Amino acid sequence: MTDINYSKLRILIADDFSNFRATVNAMLGMLGVYQVDTASNGAEVIDKCQRKTYDVILCDYDLGPGKNGQQVLEELRYRALIPRRTLFILVSADATKDVVMAAYDCEPNDYLMKPINTQMLQHRMARLLRQREALQGVYAALEAEDSRRAMARLIDLSLRDTRHTRAAQKMLGELFIAEGELNKAERLYTKVLEVRPVDWARLGLARVKHLMGELEIAGDWLEKIVRDNPLYLPAYDVLANNWEQMGHLRQVQTTVHRSVTISPKSILRHKRLAQVAERNGDYTTALQALRSTVRLGELSCHACPDDVFNFARIASAALEKKLHPAEPLVQETVAVINSARARFPLSREQRTRADLLAARVFAQAGKHDSAQPLVEAAETLVRCDEHVPLEVNIERVLTLQALGENEQAETLLHELLQKYAYDQSALEKLDTLLAEPVSETNRAMVAAVNREGIELYNQARFEEAIACFEKVRHIFPRHVGVQLNIVQSLIGKLRAGQKDAQTVSSTEQALATIGSLIEADHSQYARFQRLQEMATSSMALTGQ
Amino acid sequence: MTKPKDVDFSLVLASSVHDMKNSVGMLIASLESYIEEFPPTNERQVKQINTLHYEASRINSELVQLLTIYRMQNNHLPLRVDQHYVIDVLEDQLARNHSLLESRGVHPRLECDDSLEWFFDADLVGSVVQNVIVNCSRYTRAQLLVSAKVEDDFLRIVVADDGGGYPPSMLEAPSGLVQSAEVNEGNTHLGLYFAEEIARLHKQRNRVGYIRLENGEPLGGGCFNLFLP
Repeated sequence: MTDINYSKLRILIADDFSNFRATVNAMLGMLGVYQVDTASNGAEVIDKCQRKTYDVILCDYDLGPGKNGQQVLEELRYRALIPRRTLFILVSADATKDVVMAAYDCEPNDYLMKPINTQMLQHRMARLLRQREALQGVYAALEAEDSRRAMARLIDLSLRDTRHTRAAQKMLGELFIAEGELNKAERLYTKVLEVRPVDWARLGLARVKHLMGELEIAGDWLEKIVRDNPLYLPAYDVLANNWEQMGHLRQVQTTVHRSVTISPKSILRHKRLAQVAERNGDYTTALQALRSTVRLGELSCHACPDDVFNFARIASAALEKKLHPAEPLVQETVAVINSARARFPLSREQRTRADLLAARVFAQAGKHDSAQPLVEAAETLVRCDEHVPLEVNIERVLTLQALGENEQAETLLHELLQKYAYDQSALEKLDTLLAEPVSETNRAMVAAVNREGIELYNQARFEEAIACFEKVRHIFPRHVGVQLNIVQSLIGKLRAGQKDAQTVSSTEQALATIGSLIEADHSQYARFQRLQEMATSSMALTGQ
Repeated sequence: MTKPKDVDFSLVLASSVHDMKNSVGMLIASLESYIEEFPPTNERQVKQINTLHYEASRINSELVQLLTIYRMQNNHLPLRVDQHYVIDVLEDQLARNHSLLESRGVHPRLECDDSLEWFFDADLVGSVVQNVIVNCSRYTRAQLLVSAKVEDDFLRIVVADDGGGYPPSMLEAPSGLVQSAEVNEGNTHLGLYFAEEIARLHKQRNRVGYIRLENGEPLGGGCFNLFLP
């Protein structure tokens, strides 16, 4: 252990207990380290790292109020405040689940369990510093974005049987994948796995298969990995990607949900859960995930105003569907929006969105008095702006609709359709506001779903037909044709003798929705009336 | 208000054990820096400090075991097998107990090939070794040997001392020691139960880890063996 020059090392100790900071400082002193800084909370660590580059950061997991050790490391990496060669050692009282999760998610260079003493510190640091020395050339190459050189060095290290072989293999696998060298990555992981089935190599190989498009195999392997080690979070992420690529959004949601249940502190997974749940039309889950996102965002570098806007958007959708008691949700939403105004420096566009969203939920709860001034404020902001982004305009339409200003909403929508007549991606976004989609992609999608659903209906497979139509109903809630198809399938079910309470209430609900969308001059009005009669007679039979 | 019956007692116990462990950790750290600063000046002080140190270390390692057992039973912490240099894990445990051993005049020896690698859960195996070392520090005369080598495709970790050896009751005890009987005698053999559980969790193909207690070789005292496939 004589090869390390401790006097040259710069070390940062972070712990909320001054007692512990002093003890570790004294231990380092005995090793000959004299350039030591200390921090008592997460914000201080981040601040100190902005001013100085450390060789080693000894950071406790538990740092009192504010960010914990994991959140600190996440931010240091995310904002690139520490170079690769800075060694981050996570210290903790014991190997709790949180610490294990942290190790998987933010990969500190090592973790140490308290109580620690001089000898332990010396052993660990010596080991890590020697590894750092061996990998120095690799780090330099990566920092210079010279991945060829980094690979060459790592291959050299992986082939030589040294103490750093394994670290080099892990890095090399990642680098091969990042550079798209999938065959090389596959060979590397296979070679490692010939000796023993270690998790990191199993996951590596599954990732390679996923990226090669062998989704079935990748899925099988990933399921096996999480079965053997249910805490291995990175495997869930890849598994969710795999389902996504296969087009199974429900499975994506289930997988992300599992990982969030295991590790409830990961803001990025909550965001992903919200996204996929919204696509699945599961607003209850999306709302809950966004609630967690906003809460975790208080201490996370991954927080942004969009989290709050998304929460408000989904809250509004949930209010419209009457999924939750209105009053508390409205209050919560307004509070969340206000906290975002206080926390983030919002642009004019974002301020407008905040006003419109707040107005919309007020309007939905029948509080037009509270909504009106917000709408006026938003409109003033809009008038100052020449280029109002589409997202803001969509919010305007929705707010006007919520206020019952249908004519104004229609006029604005009409203007937007003209403005974006040649912009397919904008039209796709506008489609959600329309009775019938106008973009080519969405038209094709609705057409395909209708074809498939009608085929199923004709085969009297009503349950499947309903599930099929449902896929587009939540995306285009104002699409009368799709709604009518669902009613017709429900009636099919009723007539086939499946007169359970669920089917009856779904039928009633769907008819009520259509009733609110349709006027007597609508082209499908006659069909609507016919279905209404059929439904009534089928349901009347139920009562007997 | 929460009624007592709504509270999961094992959870309360676990979180309380967690707090106790933190406190004992602080206690040991303070004690070690105290000894560093004010080395004992007479035999009596040495004895008192040794008792303090040993008992605190023992409480610490027992609390770690309690927590680990709790987590294993609740599936909070499944086995995490990875490839490790055996010497790193053993060195860590000797370093962790450096001060305790030194103050008791025990001279530890480590025999392990520098490049020996094996697959196991380093935290769990580390705490088994830690517990045996603390135990040895109490019963040995002056020597402690920690060694590791591969035998018949098993990793064999040995912790041996030159003390009086394990009592016959422990040597003869069959597997699944700490069922209930010993609790009454005031000795739960928690450490052994723990070691056995950890060993058994390590599986490779058809082979399962196990422990063995012996007296005599190599130092004449007790000899604890942990075999990992």
